[in-house]
Amino acid sequence: MDVSAQLEVQKSKYKSINVEKQVPLQFDLGLLAGFDINALEENKLKTETDNYLKSYTRDGTQLLINEIFQLPLTSIQDVGVVTELPKIVTAIPREKPLPKPKPPTRWERFAKLKGIKKNKKSKLIYDEAKGEWVPRWGYKGANDDGSNEWLVPVPDNADPFEDQFSKLREAKKGRISKNEARRRRNIEEAETGANKKTELRQQISVAKTATASLGKFDKPIKGEPSNTKGVKRKFEPNLGDVQKEKETRLNILNKIIDKKGEIVNVRKAIAKNNQQN
Amino acid sequence: MLKTIKPKNARAKRILKKREPKVEENAKTAIFVRGSTTSQVVNDALSDLCCLRRSNSINFTKKNNIHPFDDDTSMNFFCAKNDASLFVIGSHSKKRPHNLIFGRMFDGQVLDMIEVGIEKAITMSEIKSQKCSVGMKPLFIFNGDLFETSQVHKTFKNMMLDFFRGQTLESINISGLEYVISITATGSIVDSDSTTPSTSDGKIFFRVYTIQMTKSGQKAPRVELEEMGPSYDFKLRRTKFAKEEVYKIATKVPKTLKPKKVKNIDVNEIGDKVGHIHLGRQDLSKLQTRKMKGLKRIPEDDDQTEDWSHKKRKV
Repeated sequence: MDVSAQLEVQKSKYKSINVEKQVPLQFDLGLLAGFDINALEENKLKTETDNYLKSYTRDGTQLLINEIFQLPLTSIQDVGVVTELPKIVTAIPREKPLPKPKPPTRWERFAKLKGIKKNKKSKLIYDEAKGEWVPRWGYKGANDDGSNEWLVPVPDNADPFEDQFSKLREAKKGRISKNEARRRRNIEEAETGANKKTELRQQISVAKTATASLGKFDKPIKGEPSNTKGVKRKFEPNLGDVQKEKETRLNILNKIIDKKGEIVNVRKAIAKNNQQN
Repeated sequence: MLKTIKPKNARAKRILKKREPKVEENAKTAIFVRGSTTSQVVNDALSDLCCLRRSNSINFTKKNNIHPFDDDTSMNFFCAKNDASLFVIGSHSKKRPHNLIFGRMFDGQVLDMIEVGIEKAITMSEIKSQKCSVGMKPLFIFNGDLFETSQVHKTFKNMMLDFFRGQTLESINISGLEYVISITATGSIVDSDSTTPSTSDGKIFFRVYTIQMTKSGQKAPRVELEEMGPSYDFKLRRTKFAKEEVYKIATKVPKTLKPKKVKNIDVNEIGDKVGHIHLGRQDLSKLQTRKMKGLKRIPEDDDQTEDWSHKKRKV
């Protein structure tokens, strides 16, 4: 029994899915698009426009569908046959520009400078005194200052008539307002840029010179930065007051040697070094 | 320019958040606007085109005194108000009868525009046939070499793809491939780089067909088409192209969406996958070279030194 003959019979039942094209079509399957650059038949296009376009498009669509069916197909229950689409090749402009990275807060800038890495902590910690797991912070948290307790110990050397409860509450309010002020400052700096202050100073000094007398007779603005531009350096005379010279040298020495008597403050020096790098 | 709005409640805040720039963008919204005077052909065309991308398009029916080729500020405002980045303006005048302007926005500014005149139109309702369901992604077929050679046609192709493609998808249901948009360009080009359409008697045929898939005895089905409408014969008119530097920013691919470079894995000419494995530096001191008597290590030597230390300790 010849199977190939049977297959031929089976095939001839259906219409063909093959299409002949001189130049093969280009595809962008991410967009489900096919681009046909073959020459069109101008005569047919003029005389029987719609029929020609329909048959021509059918051929193109057939090739596109053939191409889509060559992609990996998976059948999912209750959904049907699904195919994965490749990435879009054609460059299509975006609607909006790429999102800008969030400007770092002061802490983030500082942490980067110092090389401090964020490490994830568990939300719950074990409270030995209570014998149970409590949140690290927040309601019934481990870092509670104890102002909600019925008893607050009066520390040594404290005024016995002072209200310790209100003292704790005030301290907490202070911390909250400080944090809020810092949050505001971060937002402000993110909007204006951290270098806004120095920029403003420069602008003021430039604007000041915009008069006929280069700002020589202008009234100083309140809190105006002193103009250091154009001021010549002056050196002390080589021969002069010995007492004064001694004083200045000692001043420098005192600055280098800190209170503990160390010649170099190592911690500070490392930080300075890191900053400069 | 719209003022920066400060949200007064949570709902407004959520909406504004949705409008912020994203790495992976949502489907673009299109608005369909009528100019100061319109014809029935234009009105039908606007509503039909709106129908084709129904889930994210807005059709406005009032007349507006808008001429984006002369002044695009009002269009910028219109799009910003609706958070839309695609627009079609329909108008009709003696100089430019049955006129459609397709345009795109980027970052709240008009990016590029192409003006076409409708020479022949058949609305969707005039063609009695089965229509596709709402929100389906179309297939595109572009016919004619003009879409590769002429700058105006290239832009028009890109714009049409942008207009009707809908949401970017990673996978698609085969049964959702319901209709195909066929765009055919004829005519011969005079100057390929020209920003104004320079084709002589060139036309663009815009047709939409539904797809019927039948068995073919093979994996892929046999495709038959039926005209769904609308169908238009367009003639290109004025254009406004994007500035090169703006277009460059607009087509920038975010770093996270770029394919990651795979190291040490190649595919060779035959199609085999070849991997490179990097070993550390080989330890040559343990290499076995040719055995010779002279190079032989004397084991007794080691023993002697050990004995010496032993003796020393005893003393």
